[in-house]
Amino acid sequence: MRRNGLVSLVLIVVLAIGGLGWTFAADNEPLLGLDLQGGVSVVLEPTEEVAEGTISQAIAIIRQRVDGIGVAEPEITRQDDAIVVQLPGIADRDEALELVGQTAELRFRPVLNLLPPGGDELELTPSEDDVVEEPVTLAQFDDDENEVGRYELGPAAATGEILSGAQAQIQGVGQWAVAVQVRGDRIDEFNEISASCFNGAPDCPTRQLAIVLDGRVVSAPSINAPAFNPDEISISGDFSEGEAKDLALVLRYGSLPVELVAQQTQSISASIGQDALDAGVVAGLIGLALVTIYMLVYYRLLGLVAMLSLLVSAALLWTMIAWLGTNQGLALTLAGVTGIILSIGVAVDSNVVFYEHLKEEVAGGRSLRAAIDGSFASAFSTIVKADVASLIGAGILYWLTVGPVRGFALFLGLATLLDLVSSYFFMRPLALILVKSKRLQDRPRLFGMPGPSVERAPTIEEGVPA
Amino acid sequence: MSVRGKLASFDNDIDFPRLWRIGAVVSLVLLLLSGGALVVRGLNLGIDFEGGTAWEVQAPDTSVADARSVLTPLGLGNAKIQFVGGDNLRVQAEPGSEAGLAEVTETLAELAGADPTDVAVSTVGPTWGDEILEKAQRALIVFFVLIAAYIAVRLEWKMAVGALASVVHDILIVIGFYALLQLEVTPATVIAILTIMGYSLYDTIVVFDKAQSNMERPALAQKMPYTELMSLSLNQVLMRSINTSITSLLPVLSMLFVGSFLLGAVTLQEFAYALAVGLGIGAYSSIFVATPIVAWLKEREPYQQSLRQRLEAQGGRRSGAEPVAAGAPTPAPRPTGAAPQLSGRVIPPRPRKKGKRR
Repeated sequence: MRRNGLVSLVLIVVLAIGGLGWTFAADNEPLLGLDLQGGVSVVLEPTEEVAEGTISQAIAIIRQRVDGIGVAEPEITRQDDAIVVQLPGIADRDEALELVGQTAELRFRPVLNLLPPGGDELELTPSEDDVVEEPVTLAQFDDDENEVGRYELGPAAATGEILSGAQAQIQGVGQWAVAVQVRGDRIDEFNEISASCFNGAPDCPTRQLAIVLDGRVVSAPSINAPAFNPDEISISGDFSEGEAKDLALVLRYGSLPVELVAQQTQSISASIGQDALDAGVVAGLIGLALVTIYMLVYYRLLGLVAMLSLLVSAALLWTMIAWLGTNQGLALTLAGVTGIILSIGVAVDSNVVFYEHLKEEVAGGRSLRAAIDGSFASAFSTIVKADVASLIGAGILYWLTVGPVRGFALFLGLATLLDLVSSYFFMRPLALILVKSKRLQDRPRLFGMPGPSVERAPTIEEGVPA
Repeated sequence: MSVRGKLASFDNDIDFPRLWRIGAVVSLVLLLLSGGALVVRGLNLGIDFEGGTAWEVQAPDTSVADARSVLTPLGLGNAKIQFVGGDNLRVQAEPGSEAGLAEVTETLAELAGADPTDVAVSTVGPTWGDEILEKAQRALIVFFVLIAAYIAVRLEWKMAVGALASVVHDILIVIGFYALLQLEVTPATVIAILTIMGYSLYDTIVVFDKAQSNMERPALAQKMPYTELMSLSLNQVLMRSINTSITSLLPVLSMLFVGSFLLGAVTLQEFAYALAVGLGIGAYSSIFVATPIVAWLKEREPYQQSLRQRLEAQGGRRSGAEPVAAGAPTPAPRPTGAAPQLSGRVIPPRPRKKGKRR
């Protein structure tokens, strides 16, 4: 027994230290959630029932868009029909929303008439009247939201569906253009409108075809050929590199397969996130210190065992959090931090259950040495029952809920598992070794135990009630 | 030191069945208060449940009146404006105020002397809250069913009933507390309530497990009616309950303290409120709700009834409980007075038994 205990003790300590060493060596770091490092989070939901696969498709498109602007560690996950997009480090929520929630269909509309910007001959069409079949009046805006042109447009000749790809490319010195590919089976639709425009037919007198997204004209290139091959279309103009890339992005990912509505949008500033993280860490440390003092005062040496056992759990937990963060993209949120702070209570409780069993046996007249094995067995059975109940709870919360509750459940569950591990492989053998040590065995008070039972009865009425 | 000394050395012999009656009254009052508060005041649901937009920014040198005066021209004259966690200014508006969102953000940033990106903005659609609640309800039901099954298998179904009743009791009271003080219900609150459930169950299982293992000791189980056995088990695990409650409460109190006074971390503070109340209630309900229910159910078993009759027949001190206990007007531990009759409890083999009836 004792030898086994020593082996498991050594093993788990090596595992804990090894885990930490590996975490540093592999440069694993916990991934901080948005609420801890700032950023934007959006929960999107489809406005209607969707077919299987549509959501995954939408996620793929959103992921491409996000990758397109180079967010460091985006987290895009699906929960039922909801899409949760987390963009750490993004400060501008409007930019983010535009990017991921750009649900608008891309439309190609022939330009009927060019109007001066801001002119009042024709009112802009309100967005609810902006439908495919109707002619509209729409404007083009620059980056600073100034209107730069106003267009009278015909009914939409095609939508973004017909495109299969678009890329920005250099077309001569400092000249950027966008190469566009049309799906082979839809090229006729495209050529019909381009023929009209090329010929300046009544439905496209200006020879310009406007690309319209979300009620705004993105670009209105002139058509300079009556018909195109599906993959030999190029939009050229006075594009800067950025403009060309933006246009290509819009053309590629302009429309999602379903309309998505942002159900919840949250932007958290980096400073508030940092404050929350600091507060969580400080609160955790203070809490830990208080618990340590209490355990040491009350259980003496066994209290020390409890805190060491907590330390082992903590090392293993850190290893897992860092691994999950770096390799699985699972972020540690404030809710998770709270779960961890709470698990201090659970972990310490396992020790308390054990020690109280032990005390009870000792109070019943046994020696500490004789009591320890049996106490652990019955205490551990209690610990397992209670921990399994916690694990069931954490598991259900993880599977069936959304958002912060999941993070909380995950880390509480992990910490509970580690509690089982460290109770069995660390607390038991260490307590055993201490109790059986020759030097300590006759001094039960060092373990916060009552003295030999004979003394018990007479010594009770000594002080004031606590 | 004396009370603690007795507890620590297992001399405590608290007459729990007597306290249960007081507990029943306390619980009833708390539940009625909670129900009343829920009906009369209702819950103060945060925007995550109601929908709308919330802004939050650190604004140490302003007041609610200042904020209102700059927001009124923007059509947010009736928005909810408050300071949370020290100097965090929080503005909450009804759903549908999307349009001027950026403008409000800039105005608030200007007021607070901060950068617009330092303003945390959160917008929630009107149906989102219902969805979260629906999911939470589903999770809760599955949770109850599975936990009940688990306890029924590992311990017994009567204990499952007791455990779940005490969990429901705890949740109702915590929700009532929120309604009474009109604290805002946020997702953090939901998490806190779930945690409370976990703690409450954990605590209850520890007590039940003790009772179950006492039942397996013939020396006890055949010589003591179930209610007394439960009371004994509670006495045995009392120190554990106290210590665990203290060690669990210490981190929560530190969260409350740090969150409220030092760093203005609002979410932390929101967690801590519910937890502090819930931990207390959870420890209480294991002793005063879960256990008496199980004792009451068990006492209805034919075996237990015949055991009690038999014990009463031979013990001769039948329903002497009242008179004996009457020597103890306070519900405090009374080891000294009762010692001659009761000291045999902890160390089982002792032919004496009490036909105490509650």
